[in-house]
Amino acid sequence: MKCARLMRSVAVLAATGLLAGCGASAAVPNTPPISPVRPLPPDSQPVTPSANANGQCPDMTASLPPTSGAIAPDSTMARILAKGRLTVGVDQNTDLFGFRNPSTGQLEGFDIDLAREIARTLFGDPNRIELRSVSTAQRVPALTNHEVDLVARTFSVTCNRLNDVDFSSVYFTAPQRILAARNSGINSAADLSGKRVCVTVGADSADRLFALHLPKPPTVLGVTNWTDCLVALQQGQVDAVSTDEPILAGLAAQDNNLHVVGNPLGYEYYAVGVPKGEADMVGYVNGVLDRIRTDGTWQRLYDADLSVLGPSSGPPQPDYSRR
Amino acid sequence: MGLRLPAPVHKGANWLRRLAATTPGVIVVIAAAVVVLCLVTGLVCANELGDKTTRRDTTLDRSEPLDNAAQNLYVALSQADASAATAFLSGGIESPQIRAQYQQALADAADALATATAGASDPQTRRIVGEIDADLPVYTGLVESARANNRQGFPVGSAYLREASGLMQKSLLPSAAQLTTDRFAAVRADQRAITGAPWPAIVLLVLVLLGAVVATRILQRRTNRLFNLGVLAAGGAAALSLVWIVAATLVATGAVDTGAGGPTTRSENLAQARILGQQARTDETLELITRGDTTTTEADFATTTGQLKARLIAGGGPGSPLLQQLSQWMAGHGKQVGYYNAANYPAAVEQAIGTAPADSAGTFTDLDTSVRDHLNQTRVQLRGQISSAGDAWIGSAEGTLVLMVIAAAVAVVGLWPRLKEFQ
Repeated sequence: MKCARLMRSVAVLAATGLLAGCGASAAVPNTPPISPVRPLPPDSQPVTPSANANGQCPDMTASLPPTSGAIAPDSTMARILAKGRLTVGVDQNTDLFGFRNPSTGQLEGFDIDLAREIARTLFGDPNRIELRSVSTAQRVPALTNHEVDLVARTFSVTCNRLNDVDFSSVYFTAPQRILAARNSGINSAADLSGKRVCVTVGADSADRLFALHLPKPPTVLGVTNWTDCLVALQQGQVDAVSTDEPILAGLAAQDNNLHVVGNPLGYEYYAVGVPKGEADMVGYVNGVLDRIRTDGTWQRLYDADLSVLGPSSGPPQPDYSRR
Repeated sequence: MGLRLPAPVHKGANWLRRLAATTPGVIVVIAAAVVVLCLVTGLVCANELGDKTTRRDTTLDRSEPLDNAAQNLYVALSQADASAATAFLSGGIESPQIRAQYQQALADAADALATATAGASDPQTRRIVGEIDADLPVYTGLVESARANNRQGFPVGSAYLREASGLMQKSLLPSAAQLTTDRFAAVRADQRAITGAPWPAIVLLVLVLLGAVVATRILQRRTNRLFNLGVLAAGGAAALSLVWIVAATLVATGAVDTGAGGPTTRSENLAQARILGQQARTDETLELITRGDTTTTEADFATTTGQLKARLIAGGGPGSPLLQQLSQWMAGHGKQVGYYNAANYPAAVEQAIGTAPADSAGTFTDLDTSVRDHLNQTRVQLRGQISSAGDAWIGSAEGTLVLMVIAAAVAVVGLWPRLKEFQ
């Protein structure tokens, strides 16, 4: 055994001589450095000015006259009644309008309550409703693919969207403003020059930023949900968020270090999205919205969900001039 | 242009040429050649064959444990993410059980990482392990941010959780999967190295044999003797070494079964099955968190479970309960999809993460536990085979060296009397 070990040592020594240079290298090991981990919200992407930014179109917010009374047997509403529930595309990540209450797991917010009012009118029961979460970018496809019957998700009327979907009358008007940290020095749109700004992909908030024609255009990060923008802001990956004031107010309510600043960059007109060609449904939803505006429900929902925005000036006046 | 050698070298070469022309000179040259060839062969054999047993030891001590740690790491990380998702889906403050699951999963991941770090000898493994080490505290930080926000009732908590899950699915788990794939390849390479024929040693031994034949022919002409016993014995020692090595190669190759039914392939299939199972389970819970159109995630789920089934068939062996457990879990998933499509979201969540025996959380755990048990069994077999293959080489390094030293000695002893005849 001892002899074997001796032999072995001899062999190893000899082999080392024979295979000189094949062993460990004396050179300092070149190990590539590990870079810091700075995760961005999933599926985030840079946003560039869109080729077909929203143009102007006459009577953009005009909708069809409201209808009420008996439901015709071959109407869209009759189909939904037969299905047994109303499927509505909503948001589960935007405080105030449509969000998942972390303590209960329930979806809450102004848009959700509005959708339930439509279900209440249709079925006599606000719970005959199926809430499907759609991201900002999915809103139009969800309607054109008929995955949902309606979309109530801070869905503003734009000329581009009118090519693909129909809208009810406007139920809320929101100015676009800016959310930034209190100590960031950002107090107006002009301060966004050369800064990093977060929006959601599919929102038209970015086009207004590019339309400002600031000396240095802002770098725009597109994410999926508005809460992703808050995460990016809290992690220092963006300097500001710019979108509709009630959405920003919902984000500011979750972080005392943030405030909403700047004059309105423009106005957004929230309406309920309806698949193209369902004029009967547009009229029916307008009928429900008409009831909500007049019987005090709108004000009640505002007080319940949006009181953080301050006292309301009442619901926007509907325009039924579309033909 | 002739090569102009220095005078002493030139003179020495001339002297050697003259010496080789004489019979005693031939004998001396043969003796020197046999001694050098035998000793070099002995050293190469000792080195090559010593490497086999060393490789066996490093495989059992490092490669194979790292291989196992890699897939444990994947599963532990995936379980941490699943626990975080379950805590979110259940709403409110998470239950102590779910919190404990999350903490256990992190501890398991740390355990597996420690083994993986110890075995990280090559730059690629080191880079992957380094990236996992860098990602993991960021991941847990995001999960804790999500918890803190959830506790205050802020919806941004779910965005933090989404970012954490994104980091897990896009960076941590792919790294762990890459590590697993690399380590399978490493264990296979180790097996090939242990069972493969030591060609340099074999070639040199054949050269010694040929040299013995050539020396015998030359000596026949020069000394009028049929055989020189010394040269014959040296050739015999070389032949014995050759037989030893060939026999050891055959035994080692026979000990390891790398075929479809062998533990190597089965453990690869089972480890992949565990990973695929975790991926499908993630799809199942994420589609409830996303709460949108499920077409894409359902297609993913179907693809992943299809692959999972194939792996379970390949890795489970006859009479294993794995397929039955898979169909139980998938039946639960079918119920969940049914509830979801019927707009019964709470029932779908309950089916996915509930604590009843038929709920998917339970049936999936049953399946995963069974796969893990099967994997542990094949692991025992795999290690046993590697060990046996290594055992086939025991003593061969020292034995062949001793044989070749003896060969050199007996060649000299045998040739000495022939040289003395010329005194």
